[in-house]
Amino acid sequence: MTIKKLVVTMSVWIAAITGLHLWLNFDWESFLNDSRPEAERKLNVAYIPVT
Amino acid sequence: MFLPKLFQGFPEIKEALIANRMQAGFLGAPMAIALRSQGVPIKIVYLGHRYGSAFVVSKDGPIHTVRDLAGKTIAVASRFSDERLIVGRALRANSMSESEVKMVEMAPPDMASALSSHAVDAFVTGEPFPSQAELGGYGRVLFFAREYWPDYISCVLVVRDDVIERRPEAVQMLVDGIARSGLWLDEGKAHREYAAEFVGRYYYQQPPRILRWALTHPMDRVTYTPLSPTRPDFDLIVDLMVQAKLLDQRLEFEDYVDPRFAEHTTTLRSWQFEPGND
Repeated sequence: MTIKKLVVTMSVWIAAITGLHLWLNFDWESFLNDSRPEAERKLNVAYIPVT
Repeated sequence: MFLPKLFQGFPEIKEALIANRMQAGFLGAPMAIALRSQGVPIKIVYLGHRYGSAFVVSKDGPIHTVRDLAGKTIAVASRFSDERLIVGRALRANSMSESEVKMVEMAPPDMASALSSHAVDAFVTGEPFPSQAELGGYGRVLFFAREYWPDYISCVLVVRDDVIERRPEAVQMLVDGIARSGLWLDEGKAHREYAAEFVGRYYYQQPPRILRWALTHPMDRVTYTPLSPTRPDFDLIVDLMVQAKLLDQRLEFEDYVDPRFAEHTTTLRSWQFEPGND
């Protein structure tokens, strides 16, 4: 495998893993909410799975 | 208007409220009062439910009465949990003291498996974990909270002071929504079974059959009305906390409760939604 091919393969792999992480694990809803002005922000309400 | 966030324990919610990562949350009533007494800027604005806690022992074990608990290990969610106060009340009602048992703190989701593996002799916490132990075939309810504490309160809704001050309309909407949901849940078994399905799948991430059991066996195992915080209920909790040395001195009701939002709920009606019509 040439250096160029190796670099391209690794770049694609890193991009794919990063994309999957951002898609599956990153809390976009909270991130976008925290970016809004305070008056427009949704309230974060904490709960535990107990009555 | 709201983003519900699932946590696994009250201590984590406490930290998130202090850090303003959460603006509101459900906490055990004693923990909320203790935090307020320590200067954390939160107030109780509404209750989450009434009852819903049970004391569970091994199904085929030797504990059949409260007096059999002498020398046994009991798991509680926190020393600042209502359930810990219930243990004290049950022991005193049976002429025993807290020094006769060993209480250990444990996250509620770990309690049923701890009982099943005999790591503890008993646990006391909110539903659905008592139901989980019953349905799993290894747990038996020794007593429900109501037997030692009429009108028992566990989870309360707390909101940060700055949010109450700057966004009271949002707090009112949250309280109104909980009040209307409570009225809806107390309208009958069909509503509770439907709630068990979607709460189990989308909020609690637990098998709906466990929640169905917790909400319907019997129907008053957990109740959702009335949920307005009242002075006598909280005076009792504060008294028990002082007795258990969880508070150095009494706090006045107004110091930790803001009843304005609950007052508005008394004229509300339940959600107009029938399962099967969605």
